[in-house]
Amino acid sequence: MADETAPSENTVLGRSQIFTPEVVNDIHMKAELGRYRMRGGGIFKKIPHWDELVFLPGTLTRFVIEGYREKCETKTVLGGRFAKKPLELDIPVYITGMSFGALSLEAKMALAKGASMAGTATCSGEGGMIPPERDLSTKWYYQVIQSRYGFNPHHLMLADAVEFFIGQGCKVGMGGHLMGQKVTEQVAEMRSLPAGIDQRSPARHPDWLGPDDLSLKIQEVREATDYQVPIQLKLGAARVYDDVRMAAKCGPDVIYLDGAEGGTGAGPHIGTEETGIPLMAAIPEARRALEDVGLADEIDLVVAGGIRNGADIAKCIALGAKAVAIGSAALMALGSNKDVAGADYEGTFGVPASDFYHWHTGKDPAGITTQDPELRKRLNVDEAAVRVYNFLHTLTLEVQMLARACGKTDVHSLEPEDLNALTTEAAAMARVPLAGTKYIPGVTEEKTLTEIRDLLAKHIANDTGGNRDV
Amino acid sequence: MVAVNETSRTGRYDVRGLAEPDAEAPKTARIDGDSAVVDAADLSTRQINLELRRLVYGEGISEVTVTNPGAKHSIAVGLLTRCRITVDGSLGYFACTLGDGPEIHVTGRVGWSLAENMMSGVVVVDKNAGSLTGAAMRGGDLVVRGHVGARTGIDQKGGTILVGGNTGSMTGFMMQRGRQIICGNAGPGLGDSMYDGEIYVAGTVASLGVDCVEEEMTPRDDELLDRKFRIYRMDRPERFRKFVCGKQLYNYDTLEPSERKLVL
Ligand SMILES: Cc1cc2nc3c(=O)[nH]c(=O)nc-3n(C[C@H](O)[C@H](O)[C@H](O)COP(=O)(O)O)c2cc1C
Repeated sequence: MADETAPSENTVLGRSQIFTPEVVNDIHMKAELGRYRMRGGGIFKKIPHWDELVFLPGTLTRFVIEGYREKCETKTVLGGRFAKKPLELDIPVYITGMSFGALSLEAKMALAKGASMAGTATCSGEGGMIPPERDLSTKWYYQVIQSRYGFNPHHLMLADAVEFFIGQGCKVGMGGHLMGQKVTEQVAEMRSLPAGIDQRSPARHPDWLGPDDLSLKIQEVREATDYQVPIQLKLGAARVYDDVRMAAKCGPDVIYLDGAEGGTGAGPHIGTEETGIPLMAAIPEARRALEDVGLADEIDLVVAGGIRNGADIAKCIALGAKAVAIGSAALMALGSNKDVAGADYEGTFGVPASDFYHWHTGKDPAGITTQDPELRKRLNVDEAAVRVYNFLHTLTLEVQMLARACGKTDVHSLEPEDLNALTTEAAAMARVPLAGTKYIPGVTEEKTLTEIRDLLAKHIANDTGGNRDV
Repeated sequence: MVAVNETSRTGRYDVRGLAEPDAEAPKTARIDGDSAVVDAADLSTRQINLELRRLVYGEGISEVTVTNPGAKHSIAVGLLTRCRITVDGSLGYFACTLGDGPEIHVTGRVGWSLAENMMSGVVVVDKNAGSLTGAAMRGGDLVVRGHVGARTGIDQKGGTILVGGNTGSMTGFMMQRGRQIICGNAGPGLGDSMYDGEIYVAGTVASLGVDCVEEEMTPRDDELLDRKFRIYRMDRPERFRKFVCGKQLYNYDTLEPSERKLVL
């Protein structure tokens, strides 16, 4: 008789797709640690993404714009609703808030310098202002974040725009994290914390709870800043339609939506994997909400989360974003996740440089997500700034290329009609037709149902001489 | 709610009618030498603040009295210079916040988030204050002679909060630095998840929050209390108890099994 457990390839039944080797290792690790596991970076699991959308450029139905020769405007103005000085960016992309603490001083400086070279903005992130970053930024967002670490009204007065952090896509509903290794004396002092603690920032703001008080908080900050600069609300993408409606009613100039793809310097792995919805699904919901409250033309939409290239940005704009912010990609432009002299990613972290998600450990071989004085020396601010500038410039060229191909002389003229979806999931989320069809899941059915209902109503009206309600 | 001026109603208008982008300083204050009186009865939040700024920054007036404040919100916020302001009446939410330097005296009551993120200076309120009093405060003295609501000094990073009456639940929630002196009783969850700082309570404590412990009073503590009570001419209750952070939850990896249950 055959031995069904004999050690041979022919006896193996298969392996679990649920208890994968990573899952098994994770259980072993948690059984040792007795706590949830932390990491940096964005979502690991596969979710519908921008790769599942394509552009429909001009052919005979629309004519195209000459690359390099004919103008394709990239200027982006945010927050003209109530702010005396709206934020004017030369390009539709800027560097999102990443804290000093999560990042080294040199990384913050290089991002600021690179962004200024590209004519765009950076953001303080949590943990307060560092003067060199402010000095090197020509446009600078100051964050009003739950923890208010280092928050200083004098710094508020130096801001070109104010961002209220309400949530981030990576870990919606949670506060920031900074592990003890990175809470150095300097970082701790800026945040008024004991050095070396595992910092878990508050998830709620200290001085308001719901949308009614948030309106007043916005009023307060507008009073303090004399209505000079835009107020932006940063939301993690979850119940987007309702959240954006509520946010809009609180009176901001700009709403920033962060998709589930978004990265973090440090967060619980489970939080990163399991919270929020993809940006592709969030943008149409946000547009619908703004239109329903009649503020679509007044409140600007900024989006972020998992943005890698100009095509991602162009797709966000086509779906209704005014500007796009980048975090992880900007770190990579600085030189994160890159083999550098003296680094041993495999030996230290067990992963190749490109898979390096250990931003929370403070041991970044590239000297970016660290406070270690030796590692920090590996990042040359001026060289890294040029890389950031080059990347931002390239992103803009890519957006322009796609916009011109779609016949637009302004990147902001991209529209949902310029897109098709490659999968039904993407078609349903982005609300653009599945390629080769007119089918938009949900939308098509809704339309058909409405037609049937209308026909039925007419029919009954004819039958009863209009005497019956339908 | 406060009447919004017509320009913002007809032009750029937000749903709740709070935004006043086009308002201007009314220039109605009665100025008498170094001091001025602003009658706020017919003024909006924006107009009151613009008038205060005009007087304090523009005219260099160091003493301003605001009459008929009508419990409006966001009054006397973001003043970053030394000046003395008396509010003759009550204020709403976000009163006297984001300041660095002013001495403000409110003779009535105030709403939530009084003196939020104050950097330095003094705010004295003669009656009660709402919840979130002194939220994220970083410096200066905040004195409420009456009672205060919940989560007093949440995220407090410095300075002193002195309460003549009782405080609500979760007083000193996630407090980081600074001091709180409570003459009356403290509600449940005192000092929950505090990182550092001291909370002195003269009355009863309903319950302690997570990782908050009692410590012996020292002569230095008593000296500090004496000084603060002297400055604000308040009667010092004789006996205070002192509460501080237990420091058991500073790091994820060093928790003993008994400490782990603290966070559940
Ligand atoms: C290293 C790092 C630090 C971050 N720090 C902050 C922060 O201080 N405040 C904040 O609002 N978001 C922070 N974020 C989140 C970003 O602002 C943004 O939501 C996210 O990076 C966007 O997704 P992306 O990284 O895929 O571009 C951080 C992200 C990273 C990668």
